[in-house]
Amino acid sequence: MEFDYFSIDAILAENQKLQCNFNREILGMGHLGGGSERDIVMGSKIQLPYWLANTILLSTWADINIPAPFGARVRNALLADARSVRLSGLVGAGGLWYGFGKSIMDMVLDEQANELSKMLRVTFRDRLVEIIDQAQHFAALGPAGGSGSTGDTAQAFREGLDASEREIFALAQESAKRTKRWYEDSDKPRR
Amino acid sequence: MSIPHSLRTSITPTELELVASQQLVEIVPLISMERTAFISGAYGPLRPPNKAKVPLWMAFNLKLKKKCHIVAPDWLNVEYLQGKLSLETTKPEFSSLPFRFAEISKVLLDVASDDLENPDRLRSLLKDLREARQAKSRDGLKTLDHSELSLPNLCSMEINEIRPFFVQSMSLMSQLMPIATVGSLGDS
Repeated sequence: MEFDYFSIDAILAENQKLQCNFNREILGMGHLGGGSERDIVMGSKIQLPYWLANTILLSTWADINIPAPFGARVRNALLADARSVRLSGLVGAGGLWYGFGKSIMDMVLDEQANELSKMLRVTFRDRLVEIIDQAQHFAALGPAGGSGSTGDTAQAFREGLDASEREIFALAQESAKRTKRWYEDSDKPRR
Repeated sequence: MSIPHSLRTSITPTELELVASQQLVEIVPLISMERTAFISGAYGPLRPPNKAKVPLWMAFNLKLKKKCHIVAPDWLNVEYLQGKLSLETTKPEFSSLPFRFAEISKVLLDVASDDLENPDRLRSLLKDLREARQAKSRDGLKTLDHSELSLPNLCSMEINEIRPFFVQSMSLMSQLMPIATVGSLGDS
């Protein structure tokens, strides 16, 4: 996952909504909140997509709350056992939890950003070994196998993978498969 | 961009085998040949029963035509590998083996198993070594961070196997670094 201008993942990650608390009145922009009011009144809370919220935040008309997928509840669950949290379910359909986290990290102030960054990285590292283990396990099974035998926790973990973790899973599986194939076939007849 | 994704991330094991085929091995030729120039250099002369050093690709071509015996490299025997295996299973770090031992030993076991002593034992030792080392590179994952990872004595085939997802993981981790501290080491 990369965050350059053309990255589809980055665009999808930016499509999440953030809650903005407006600290001043903005005339004629009430439709942003989806309601029927004409103006945004002071102190109102409106869900705005990330790309819009970012600009508004820069202009200091509003501030944001850290969204629920990165809030205290998820944080505590991750501290308890990072592998049992279903990251894919926390954010929208694409499941770009890390991507969204990264976007928020870029927006908030240093202290919060550092904390968030630490949470993201620790979570990723805690889950990585399990991702690779399972990828290699599935690479070893070959094309036929791959269901039923591994148990519910492993399956739940796989379903809860974030999109960038999925990518790593696929890479690891492919590479393990390829190396295994090389070790196993004796290509003597070819020569 | 027209290359398949699997070929973009790293080179294939077969390509590594090709690279390893440039290494020199000793053979006992059964035919005589003058010194001959090839693209990669001049090899020979072959004068039976004197030993000669030729690249691996030439050795296995001659071997398949039954025109030489391949002399096993000094690390490809039961005793040496057994020693390495016991080091591998008792010490936490990787034991030092030739960088391309996986490729060379596979080629030799494929084409010249009759020139090696106890090839089945060698195969199983190499497999055990591989598994022990794999377990260690898995442990290496736990120490992965955004900027560096040190696994000394990893050999080419093993590096190639872990490269795609290590690189991807490290790139994700560096993206997750707070902007101000990207590039500075040792924070967490």
